[in-house]
Amino acid sequence: MVPPEPHTNEAKEVFWLYNVVLVMGGIVFVAVEGFIVYSIIRYRRRDDRLPTQVHGNNLVELIWTAIPTVIVMILFVLSTITLNSISARATTPGVTIEVEGRQFEWIFHYLDSDTDPANDVRVTSSFIEPGTMGLPVGEPVRLILVSRDVIHSFFVPAFLVKRDVIPTGDRPPNELEFTVSEAGTYAGQCAEFCGDLHARMTFSVQAMSRADFDAWIAAIRAGATPAPSAPAGSAVLKIAADNTAFDTRGLTAAADEPFTIEFNNQEALSHNVAIYKGSEPLFNGEFFKGPGTISYVVQALPAGEYIFICDVHPVPDMTGTLTVE
Amino acid sequence: MATTALSPTTESYRRSWVLEWLTTVDHKKIGVLYIVNSFLFFFAAGILALVVRSELAVPGLQFLDERTFNQAFTMHGTIMIFLFVVPVLSGFANYIVPLQLGAPDMAFPRINALSFWFLPVGGLLIFSGYLFGGAAAEGWTGYAPLSNYSSGVGTDLWLIGLLLVGVASILGAVNLIATIFKMRAPGMTLFRMPILVWTVLVTATLILLATPVLAAGMIALFIDRNYGGSFFDPNAGGNPVLWQHLFWFFGHPEVYIVILPAMGVVSEILPVFTRRPLFGYRAFVFATIAIGFLSFSVWAHHMFTTGQVFLPFFTFMTVLIAVPTGVKMFNWMATLWRGSITFATPMLFALGFLSMFLIGGISGVMLAAPPIDFHLQDTYFVVAHLHYVFFGGSVFGVFAATYYWFPKMTGRRLNERLGKVHFWLHFIGFNLAFFPMHMLGIQGMPRRVSDYAPDAGWTLWNLASTAGAFMIAVSVLPFLVNVAATFINGEKVGDDPWEGNTLEWATSSPPPPHNFDKLPPIRSERPVFDLRHRHDAEHLAADVTVSEGGHS
Repeated sequence: MVPPEPHTNEAKEVFWLYNVVLVMGGIVFVAVEGFIVYSIIRYRRRDDRLPTQVHGNNLVELIWTAIPTVIVMILFVLSTITLNSISARATTPGVTIEVEGRQFEWIFHYLDSDTDPANDVRVTSSFIEPGTMGLPVGEPVRLILVSRDVIHSFFVPAFLVKRDVIPTGDRPPNELEFTVSEAGTYAGQCAEFCGDLHARMTFSVQAMSRADFDAWIAAIRAGATPAPSAPAGSAVLKIAADNTAFDTRGLTAAADEPFTIEFNNQEALSHNVAIYKGSEPLFNGEFFKGPGTISYVVQALPAGEYIFICDVHPVPDMTGTLTVE
Repeated sequence: MATTALSPTTESYRRSWVLEWLTTVDHKKIGVLYIVNSFLFFFAAGILALVVRSELAVPGLQFLDERTFNQAFTMHGTIMIFLFVVPVLSGFANYIVPLQLGAPDMAFPRINALSFWFLPVGGLLIFSGYLFGGAAAEGWTGYAPLSNYSSGVGTDLWLIGLLLVGVASILGAVNLIATIFKMRAPGMTLFRMPILVWTVLVTATLILLATPVLAAGMIALFIDRNYGGSFFDPNAGGNPVLWQHLFWFFGHPEVYIVILPAMGVVSEILPVFTRRPLFGYRAFVFATIAIGFLSFSVWAHHMFTTGQVFLPFFTFMTVLIAVPTGVKMFNWMATLWRGSITFATPMLFALGFLSMFLIGGISGVMLAAPPIDFHLQDTYFVVAHLHYVFFGGSVFGVFAATYYWFPKMTGRRLNERLGKVHFWLHFIGFNLAFFPMHMLGIQGMPRRVSDYAPDAGWTLWNLASTAGAFMIAVSVLPFLVNVAATFINGEKVGDDPWEGNTLEWATSSPPPPHNFDKLPPIRSERPVFDLRHRHDAEHLAADVTVSEGGHS
């Protein structure tokens, strides 16, 4: 009945509040259930006499209106004090991250202090390989929660907090601030139902010392390679999707040569094209909401039969065979 | 030219019983239609719950793909709320309220039939998505903009079906309000009305005020989806949070729409099986009215994590609504105190209601604190909470009502032995299914997930919950056997087997089409009790408001 061990400064306050409320609730529970059980044993029918007919008593009504009123007012005050405390904002957060939720993955965009977007660091992910959000311990962290498709919710159970990630259009997005208190790896996932693969929209938080965090950022910046470009003259396979169905169930490509898939998504739903050998993923195209066309560059594959599928909608209509010969 | 004598003794036109039930405007037959129709949808939605729980028993996707899973929990929630809990209680209200008022029928018998027949049509429309490319899969709350973007007509059929059900609710509410205000027997003042009638009156008022807001939202969403509207689509300048406001402005009163009549049922049953009047009748009435008012000022407590509502106001109003609810609990407890209690099946389910609804109430107050809600919102803790209110509360009330009024409707009493088997299987299965969900939610398992990680530590509680769900399903079997066997060859128990207090027990069981040949004098909220004990002068003399020593 107790939440996970809290790992942010704010979560420790919520944990305390939770336990206070749980104890209050527990006392009410034991008192009322105890009274009911005692009454039905003590006052079970023993003979046919009519019990005294008491219709009510204004004084006791007044008393037992006052009792819950006092209890809930205590709760309201405690809750409001905790709320104000955990909602306090830092003037200069240690790190500001634009967290984008999209069907069905998280993107962590570390906003730099300088204005050159080339220096920004972006951690992308997919539901097959969920991303990791690195954070420094002991510094206020500010998250700007943005969405361009549907409502998601950023939730890390060990931080005892979630905040909805709402597509707000022109209006300002939600923000969330906390200070991680212990280094460690914490699981997180989307908590607002967001469509087919909602359950797989997970991520993890890796909290580390400032030095480790700087090294982590530097490593990502160094490893950020541009997307591979297709060699000139390579083959182009065309495929389109509409009504949650591919227009073809069979594609053919040449063996041992990179090729391009030109994917025309004709509806306002996220789709992609992914290639599997059995259950082993060989290529996972970026999710892409139509209408529009995206080009995927696929590395050379040895000859054989492969499966191509939409990861978002792994239904028969969005599955086919890729023959490489 | 032949003439037709308008005498009740004349033999009526002979019609087949099928035609009679299809065209009836008798509130009792319509009430039975409501109840039977609701139970059919209950079984369908229950099977969907078993599908969901089977998939979640252990990690990994065993039976379903994600979309089928999402359709299953969406249909489960939608059907249980809109086609079972609300209409089954409307069915009992339809049958019982005119009898308790001493009225011959509802105020508008034809509208009564119309509002019933919308229900199966609406329910089938909602389900028919399965025939046309897939049912709605956005959750019973249908949050925008997910519901804006989802392709397929399943969501459109869901909207149209729910609109029909909403119209049915509104018509039914108008009818009940008119009946309660205009059809009471002589002597039946407002403060002599049975508590069930009071709770139905407040419920009908809530339906009348809340349902049009949902209907407006649904029409707007339908326009968004089909005619290029932009109420909720942020990419077209709309606001998806507006949908949540509209939905919950309806959705929170809806919680009280399904719990208040169940509270009324329990408040009818406790006095009969303790042989005491309901303690604090007037306080109970005022508490019911207070809940009705407050229920319109708490909707945004479903939206704390949106970051777009004024938290202190909605926290304050939400904890405040616990006060009248607490007053009711104290009044029920005081009714038990010094009673003469027997434990027939209706009473067992009523006591089950008290003990289970309490848990839903406590977890509700916990969720009212925003810092705690930030952790628990949209987790299985909320699923546990809402099932302790809807199932531990309302559904226990529905079964209490079924066992209590079955002899009124048929003249036969349901078998007590099977009834007790049903109750205990149900009670244990319910707690096994839903108590572990508290743990899951506290540990951070989100609701509406088709799968969870094997290393999350959630497997044991999920397995227990699934076992409980199947136990609930098994508990329904003795109930069905009981209803069938009793209907065919049950114990005939006369007109008033429980020694009831209210007017429905003053007529025959089942009642004649016109309900009453004669009415007893109505001098209190318990006219049949008064009639039974009219020679017990000493008891009537003791019928005064005196202190028995307070307790809490």
